[in-house]
Amino acid sequence: MRAPIGRLEFDRIRQWMPIVTLVLLIALVGAFQPGFLEPETLLQLASDTAVLFVLATGVTFVIMIGGIDLSIQSMASLASVIVALTVSRWGYAAFAFAIAAGILAGFLSGVAHVRLKVPSFIATLAMGGVLFSAALVLSRERSITLQTSERDYQTWITGALLGVPNVIVIALVVLAVAHTIQSRTRFGRYSAAIGAGEPAAYASGVKVDRQKIIALVLSGTCAALAGVILAGRLASGSPTLASELLLPSIAAVVVGGTAITGGVGSIWRTLIGALIISVVRIGMTFVGVDIFAQNIVFGAVLIIAVAVTIDRSKIPIVK
Amino acid sequence: MSASADEPVLAMAGIEKSFPGVRALKHVSLELRPGEVVGLVGENGAGKSTLMKILSGVYQPDAGEIRLGGRATRFASAADANRQGVGMVFQEQSLLLNLTVGENIYLGTEAQFTRLGLVDWRALYASATRQLAKVQVDVDPRTRAAALDFATRQMVELAKALTLEEHASGHLVILLDEPTSVLERPEIEILFQRVRALKARASFIFVSHRLSEVLELSDRIYVMKDGAVVAELQAAEADVKTLHRLMVGRGLQAEYYREPLQKPFGADVVLELDGLGRGDAYRDVSFKLHAGEILGIAGVLGSGREELTRTLAGLRPHDRGRLIVGGREVRLSTPADAVDVDLGYVPRERRVEGLVLFLSVAANITLPSLKQLARRALIDLGEEQRLAKTWVERLKVRTPGVDALCLNLSGGNQQKVVLAKWLNAKARILILDHPTRGLDVGAKEEVYELVRAATGEGVAVILTSDTLEETIGLSHTVIVMRDGVVTYRTPASPGAKPNQVDLIGHMV
Repeated sequence: MRAPIGRLEFDRIRQWMPIVTLVLLIALVGAFQPGFLEPETLLQLASDTAVLFVLATGVTFVIMIGGIDLSIQSMASLASVIVALTVSRWGYAAFAFAIAAGILAGFLSGVAHVRLKVPSFIATLAMGGVLFSAALVLSRERSITLQTSERDYQTWITGALLGVPNVIVIALVVLAVAHTIQSRTRFGRYSAAIGAGEPAAYASGVKVDRQKIIALVLSGTCAALAGVILAGRLASGSPTLASELLLPSIAAVVVGGTAITGGVGSIWRTLIGALIISVVRIGMTFVGVDIFAQNIVFGAVLIIAVAVTIDRSKIPIVK
Repeated sequence: MSASADEPVLAMAGIEKSFPGVRALKHVSLELRPGEVVGLVGENGAGKSTLMKILSGVYQPDAGEIRLGGRATRFASAADANRQGVGMVFQEQSLLLNLTVGENIYLGTEAQFTRLGLVDWRALYASATRQLAKVQVDVDPRTRAAALDFATRQMVELAKALTLEEHASGHLVILLDEPTSVLERPEIEILFQRVRALKARASFIFVSHRLSEVLELSDRIYVMKDGAVVAELQAAEADVKTLHRLMVGRGLQAEYYREPLQKPFGADVVLELDGLGRGDAYRDVSFKLHAGEILGIAGVLGSGREELTRTLAGLRPHDRGRLIVGGREVRLSTPADAVDVDLGYVPRERRVEGLVLFLSVAANITLPSLKQLARRALIDLGEEQRLAKTWVERLKVRTPGVDALCLNLSGGNQQKVVLAKWLNAKARILILDHPTRGLDVGAKEEVYELVRAATGEGVAVILTSDTLEETIGLSHTVIVMRDGVVTYRTPASPGAKPNQVDLIGHMV
């Protein structure tokens, strides 16, 4: 049967909605606050988006296969604590410890998800609790400020390359690597297939369990990296450093146009989504919205974005 | 209303329905008289489903009139159609398997048994028992639907449709939409017998792809083609050939199953089963499959052939005996294991297990063999496009392009993509699990041709099919299973094909 014309048209428009939204938002904020469009402010915006983008990139891999990772903010906080606790003694190896913790946490969530057949949202919700407690215990419930000598190890995060802040460079590297993984590797293709039609992917010989574990490992790794960057930028580690980032991260993925049901999406879309979230955040600051009230907006944005990106004619029942 | 003998229970006149880009129904008129079974046949896309959806209140016609018991009416929704005495028995069984038979029968209409918000279960089950008696099914209505076989479930659906007569004023109209597609011959006999027995209570519209069954059950037959009724004839005066010619506009060719292309198979044994068994499903199954051979497995539901097929696909591993693929003993715990030894599974549920509908044609074709396209961990996208285009051309897949989503292809073209996928993966053995289910005649012929071409190049095939005719027509060798064991085995060379009656004798 031929697809109804109207739906095809709408699909085409839907695809461009995130980028159009981003441009309109930037223009809107720029109109009220001309200083916003200065190169310096825009670089600041990009720097502030980096952590959110890295977190959102990781969770994009999991959402693509039709799952979710709710442990990312706890993982990022734990990573910041690990860095703060070990950098004085171990130097750069501290970053490796933090990343290794992310890999391990992702792997354990993945194994629980596929071997014990626990839904990913339960496995990662539980893992998030474990990681949060671990961060609390390790830090003795304190925020650990980095000493001046320790900050030398953070220059790869806090420095700048030819005037461009390093965090932006790191985010661009993450973008390039993640985009390649997602669009060019077998894992990327398999995860799209699993998200769009798991039974067919399985019957075609795709090792579904393995791809799910890889997705959660990538998510854990990105979360740890985000925590490392955050620790560098804020010169501290704390069990609540990345709190309030889970909601904006998932909102970024979905606002960018990746379907929460899996199968359709890309890292590029997540970049656009993360920028939208950042611009909205700054816009709210200009308008004078209390910083603690901002998640009210992000919660609403998430619901609206999910409602708009899912084509309900194709998905009759949503649980 | 009291319908006289020749006043139609249902009359549709000049029904029109268009969707963007397609005129699905063109001035369709149809009548149904009391106690009559009317057959409705046509190829896929001829407009049968659209017409049924209008009758069941799912679609609204753009123009035309529907008269029920002589009175003009319209069906605003499925519930509205039900209220007016139009019931449906769907092709895909719609019972909820986790509910009991009684709960299913009164699903959505429990209100009649409800007191103060609580359901009077005793009354509901007593009433359900009476409904089941109408279709002569003797099961406890407290049984879960999952525990019933397909035939009984179909009877329960029929019983559910018959509950309408307690509320609708007139003679019931029941739509039977492909009710036999999951039933085997003996079960079909029972269904038909019950339908005939119910003619005093209801009139039926019987939609089916199986022309011989339509001829058997119907009093009168409407033939649809390209959205219009092209013929109306008495069943007694029609035969399969006539119907077929009217449906497709050309005669049934003698070489329908491409028998002239059936070449003798090779000597190489590519697959050997030696005393294979799994649980209660099947046991002691032994046979050899040769390169280029099509081996058809016939059997009713419960014969074990379905489970055996799933074993070979890597979905239900065996627990006894030996399975030897390409000279190596294997156990297929997952489909990935099966793919590793060059087995390709063409599942009956094409849209669920066969294709990832929301991926492109190209991505589906390369899915099982992506490894071969990997250059230093990255997929060679240019090569992928080239391969996909080659297959689309070779198999004549009608698609806007290799980047189009499989969702938008017709059933026949989807099946070609599934075949392309396994041919591209260089599968040596194809497991064809009801490969032409839901396809129209033209698409079936194309699938037969592709299967013949593949076997001509040495691919071996295990076939389980919807119809015995197809099993016989396509296969080099036919084995029959009953109650989990092989009961009969016969060669099926061109010109010396076994006949259906003989095989049925070994099936039941």
